[in-house]
Amino acid sequence: MFNQAFLIQVAASGAAVAALVGLAAWARIARPLNPLDDATARFHLGEEFPGRPIDRLWVATDGAGALARSGASALVLCRVGDAYIGRQIPWAQALSAAFRDGRITLDLSDVAAPKATIVLPAWPPADLAA
Amino acid sequence: MKTFDPVTLATPFFIATVILEIVLARLNKVEARYEARDTAVSLTLGLGSTIAGVLIAGVSFAASLWVYQHRLFTIPMNAVWAWIAVFLLEDLTYYVFHRLSHERRIWWAAHVNHHSSTHYNLSTALRQTWTGGVAGTWLLWLPLSLLGFPPAMVAIEKGISLVYQYWIHTETIRRLPAWFEAVFNTPSHHRVHHARNPRYLDRNYAGILIVWDRLFGSFQPELDEEPCRYGIVKNLGTFNIFRVAFHEWIAIAQDLVRSPRHALGWLFGPPGWSPDGSRETSAQIKARAFPPLHGEGTARQSRARGGEAVTGS
Repeated sequence: MFNQAFLIQVAASGAAVAALVGLAAWARIARPLNPLDDATARFHLGEEFPGRPIDRLWVATDGAGALARSGASALVLCRVGDAYIGRQIPWAQALSAAFRDGRITLDLSDVAAPKATIVLPAWPPADLAA
Repeated sequence: MKTFDPVTLATPFFIATVILEIVLARLNKVEARYEARDTAVSLTLGLGSTIAGVLIAGVSFAASLWVYQHRLFTIPMNAVWAWIAVFLLEDLTYYVFHRLSHERRIWWAAHVNHHSSTHYNLSTALRQTWTGGVAGTWLLWLPLSLLGFPPAMVAIEKGISLVYQYWIHTETIRRLPAWFEAVFNTPSHHRVHHARNPRYLDRNYAGILIVWDRLFGSFQPELDEEPCRYGIVKNLGTFNIFRVAFHEWIAIAQDLVRSPRHALGWLFGPPGWSPDGSRETSAQIKARAFPPLHGEGTARQSRARGGEAVTGS
């Protein structure tokens, strides 16, 4: 099944993959992504969760993510590569998330997006802390 | 007739054109975006799929040979009409395969890999499944051998289709002449297929001929006023190749463990199906995005949605 010719072909393909990835990294042609601010975070949240009201919004201090409260849910926005992805978790889960070294780590309970890290000055917010 | 593998022959062309697209984009000559980790995932999935393909090839080819031994007719491999017939029938089979791969979760689990990039460039074309063989979608091509097309002929035609579909994964080519756009699958039509905008979900399943989508009501033209946003409804939050390759299979397994009595729904329902309706299928996403207008019929709603809604890429 895996004869020598095939193994050589796979090895050559692997080398080609490495070269192409190196070329893509060198080219620096990813999408330009400015740090999030309040308006852009709301825009992206609107795209990920259309029609969902945002009660309150926390934008990461490094602009690489945001966390919003929408009723009983937390809407999470985080940068992956040169795009933003969104996930929704129960608000209580977000509120009790671990906050260490200036960042909150959220368990998204999703094998395709296991966790999100958002840099915030403090968590939970003083007025919401139990 | 000596058989050949169009995909193997085209591989140097794949590599050369990816290089060309990256370099021209770097020089601002064409519109293309590449993110290095995304590119790495796409190309590694492509490489892995060739290995997975070898593993399953013996089984699928043996099955097609067995079916061919019980064929209804004997179709010559050296007749022009036979190649025209296998081209049309293989392309129709691809349409059915592709539509099923979007409409039923068990097959979506294998196909989702191809759609999970937020980019649309030539490397995305090489982002191929590792689990297509396990999902058994190759069974759909067996009727061609039963009809009497030699398995090698079917394999060559499948390869030609795959090679054709490579070049349409680009933003560099905007629109082609109207007659070509009317008949063939093009970069414009396929951009729609890879888009996650509600209007574009589950449209344009064609392999080579877009006429199948026009015929079966799944065609949606690309609209200048609605640029494509690429990826899947819930884009991936990781570049871990194994999570990318297997995430939907793992999610299915988790659902089966959580609620085994809904196994049929989890496996054969549309992606996004759940027994309690807590998730959304493509049809529901489209219905939310384009609610029926008061006093107007469903025909207008359907037009706004770009045809009939189905399910969820």
